[in-house]
Amino acid sequence: MTNPFREDLVSRSRPEPCTVVIFGATGDLTHRKLVPAIYNLAIDGELPPGVKILGFARREKSDAEFRKGLEELNRKVSRSGHDDTIWASFEESIHYHQSEFTDLAGYQRLAARLDEIDRERGGKGNRLFYIASAPEFFDDILTHLKAAGLNQAAEGCWARVIVEKPFGTDLATAQQLNEVVNRTFQEKDTYRIDHYLGKETAQNLMVLRFANAIFEPLWNSRYIDQIQITCAENLGMEGGRGGYYDKSGALRDMVQNHLLQLLSLVAMEPPTDLSADGVRDEKVKVIRSLRQWDSPEKVAANVIRAQYHAGHVDGKPVPGYREEDRVDPESMTESYVALRLMIDTWRWSGVPFYIRMGKQLPKKATEISVHFKAPPGVLFNALAGGVPGGNVLVIRIQPDEGISLRMVSKIPGTSLRLEPVKMDFHYSTSFGKSSPEAYERLLLDAMAGDATLFARRDEVEEAWRFIDHIERAWHQSENPPPMAGYVAGTWGPKEADELLQADGHVWRRL
Amino acid sequence: MATPEMHPELGREVPVGSIDKELHKLWAEDEARTNASLMNLAVYSEAPGALEKNSAAVRELTAEHACRAILIGIDRDAPETSIRAWITAHCHLSHGKKSICCEQIAFALTGKATGRLRNTVFAHLASDLPLIFWWQGELSPIFEDRLYSLVDRFVFDSSGWVDPCSSFARITEAIANATRPLVVQDLAWTRTFQFRVSVASLFDDPIMLSALSEIGAVEIIYHPAHRGSALQLLAWLAVQASWSDTVELPLAVPNHNDSKACFSFESTSGKTILATLVANPDSAPLGCLTLSGGEVSASVSREAGSSHVIRRIEAPGHFVEAPGPADPDTCADLIGEQLARGGKNSLFRKILPRFRSLLERQ
Ligand SMILES: NC(=O)c1ccc[n+]([C@@H]2O[C@H](COP(=O)([O-])OP(=O)(O)OC[C@H]3O[C@@H](n4cnc5c(N)ncnc54)[C@H](OP(=O)(O)O)[C@@H]3O)[C@@H](O)[C@H]2O)c1
Repeated sequence: MTNPFREDLVSRSRPEPCTVVIFGATGDLTHRKLVPAIYNLAIDGELPPGVKILGFARREKSDAEFRKGLEELNRKVSRSGHDDTIWASFEESIHYHQSEFTDLAGYQRLAARLDEIDRERGGKGNRLFYIASAPEFFDDILTHLKAAGLNQAAEGCWARVIVEKPFGTDLATAQQLNEVVNRTFQEKDTYRIDHYLGKETAQNLMVLRFANAIFEPLWNSRYIDQIQITCAENLGMEGGRGGYYDKSGALRDMVQNHLLQLLSLVAMEPPTDLSADGVRDEKVKVIRSLRQWDSPEKVAANVIRAQYHAGHVDGKPVPGYREEDRVDPESMTESYVALRLMIDTWRWSGVPFYIRMGKQLPKKATEISVHFKAPPGVLFNALAGGVPGGNVLVIRIQPDEGISLRMVSKIPGTSLRLEPVKMDFHYSTSFGKSSPEAYERLLLDAMAGDATLFARRDEVEEAWRFIDHIERAWHQSENPPPMAGYVAGTWGPKEADELLQADGHVWRRL
Repeated sequence: MATPEMHPELGREVPVGSIDKELHKLWAEDEARTNASLMNLAVYSEAPGALEKNSAAVRELTAEHACRAILIGIDRDAPETSIRAWITAHCHLSHGKKSICCEQIAFALTGKATGRLRNTVFAHLASDLPLIFWWQGELSPIFEDRLYSLVDRFVFDSSGWVDPCSSFARITEAIANATRPLVVQDLAWTRTFQFRVSVASLFDDPIMLSALSEIGAVEIIYHPAHRGSALQLLAWLAVQASWSDTVELPLAVPNHNDSKACFSFESTSGKTILATLVANPDSAPLGCLTLSGGEVSASVSREAGSSHVIRRIEAPGHFVEAPGPADPDTCADLIGEQLARGGKNSLFRKILPRFRSLLERQ
């Protein structure tokens, strides 16, 4: 029987009541992102009644202490503010469970505790396990969940798992982790987080491409000259981040997951439907069609890695990458990477996709720019000076989400002079309402069993397969491509500019 | 040159013939501002002093909904015929940085000039953008097909209507006659939105869903100024749950300072459902909806002035309580919510006949 009162109320899959069990619940992610996200869903009325949170971590804490810590942070970071009365009712459904990740008895107690909470507060037995621990514990947590029987849901219920990034450090570790995950949960119950996919503009990419008739006919190698994806950060290794980052690097930390996901959304064929697998089937084909570089020479010709040297960002002096806190002074980890990718499909044959990601760049910005081919060289193009730059469609992911289109226009006056002008759409200008945080959307989708915005096993593995070629050339070959350098606060190394110059292109100025 | 007349709220008075030119000047004066617009929002009122009040309401609205606002103040009974116009821009800082502005044109039409409403006002719409028409007060003779056929969304608040039965008959007629699809939006219905969402979420619980056929009693407590919302909520429940009207007439039972009305329905399985509407001057517009039957009881309740509702389910061995958002109370905020939701409002059209029959049964 369907709920007759739902008619015409919401057009999204419906989240179901469940208990969210967070592993690593005393950590930063839980306090800053996860619990504020659930709280905001509650005040927006998106959360079904009967959602409970059970935090799992090592240190001793009472429910009251755990709630207090969460409340303090929620007050600071919650998107739509903090309301004491609502919090008072909300926190009733938050509990804490102390245990070591590696202690099976702790998981057995967890199982008993979950049943007890369901009995006391009423609940059907749906469980959403959120693994927000450091990656080295992913295996332990999954194995113990299985040993304690928590991966099996009661009759008519479900048990799902959300896994945080990083999902492996190369193809082998990702495959091994996938084995463990899939031994514990079915693929349909596995949700690999990529918070970029929860962002409004990332979701809007499909709408832009497939709900507007004017773009799709042009979306191919006949009209598009090149596509650039930029992710610039104006931060370095503050707050002890160097320890984690130095083991990872720009390519593994950002490109393997977030930027290849954006690339898939831009380049994929129209899916047959909007189901999770419909969309993901098309996305993975893009990654599979990436031209692979099987020698260090090919990698060197298509990928530039670099580290920043001391410089100035936002007017403040900053140290070089190797001088940063918790970074190896001899580190060969890249803080910047630029790639020229080719997608060997009918649609994209001959169109280069340039991706760059870097730390300590002049500003924070993530965007995709689609550069269209120049019109035929007759009429205006034959004028002295030609046409100043072709059409560029820019999709800004963050900050200041929006879309702009560059066109060419005549400068007023009696002579014929052309200049580029910009048509600009800003989300914040047109829609005053703030977008929900990526984690809000993603948690709700997981509760509703909608995996569209999560990475599937084959997507993750195919992305690693591609990335591994580069990592191997950098770290395991006889003649590794060199590590370039750039001054902090600039737009990256000159080698990255040369990469585009060779094709007659330049990086878009942001 | 004489300085143009400035009105503290409505802005610069301009000749009707040069509104576009003057708007242009408004933007040329300040380059730091961005003009944004996603729709035309016309606000119509026949109440004295409404232009100023509506201008203030539009300023609030434009913080979240970029639009070209057209305010219309009408005095049909004034002896002289006149049209005056003022222009201004409402600006808001977006994310503390950019100044985002929306244009506003205010018209005051008196006497015979009120007949020129359509030509004057609709010559100033921003092209290609939808027209949302917010009608304030009772429907007057100005509400006729040549007006509503230009409108994409017609917004009104039936709670203040003296004779809702006949006004809703006119609305129904307008929907049928409009030459383009007319979406009607009663703010009394918008006021029930979060209550409906909350009721729906209660029935997402399998225990409640299986108890739906057991429900034998419905009680709605409401503020006396919002009887229409309470009746619309009841009509919605009855339509969605497939409860049919029973033949006996409702008994209006006066009950000390509260007034009470009862309705009865029959479920598809032949069970009788008794619904009681209780007006209480201390209540929020919608104060409490309780559904009970068999061993279960569920409610959605809201304290007057509170920003949230409480949803509750009580069944043997099963107790759930959770907060949810409440609808705003002011008309401008309700319109804001409505604009953010969009949609064709087909559910309202679906329950409209049932609501009208409940209105007539009073
Ligand atoms: N922070 C972010 O904004 C962010 C963003 C994206 C992804 N992530 C990912 O999310 C994950 C968690 O990040 P985080 O920043 O929240 O980490 P964190 O602040 O270091 O928190 C680690 C958590 O794990 C618990 N823990 C560690 N060892 C344990 C053990 N042996 N047994 C039981 N509990 C143990 C800690 O509990 P005790 O405190 O009780 O020891 C703490 O709750 C990582 O995979 C990270 O890559 C984080």
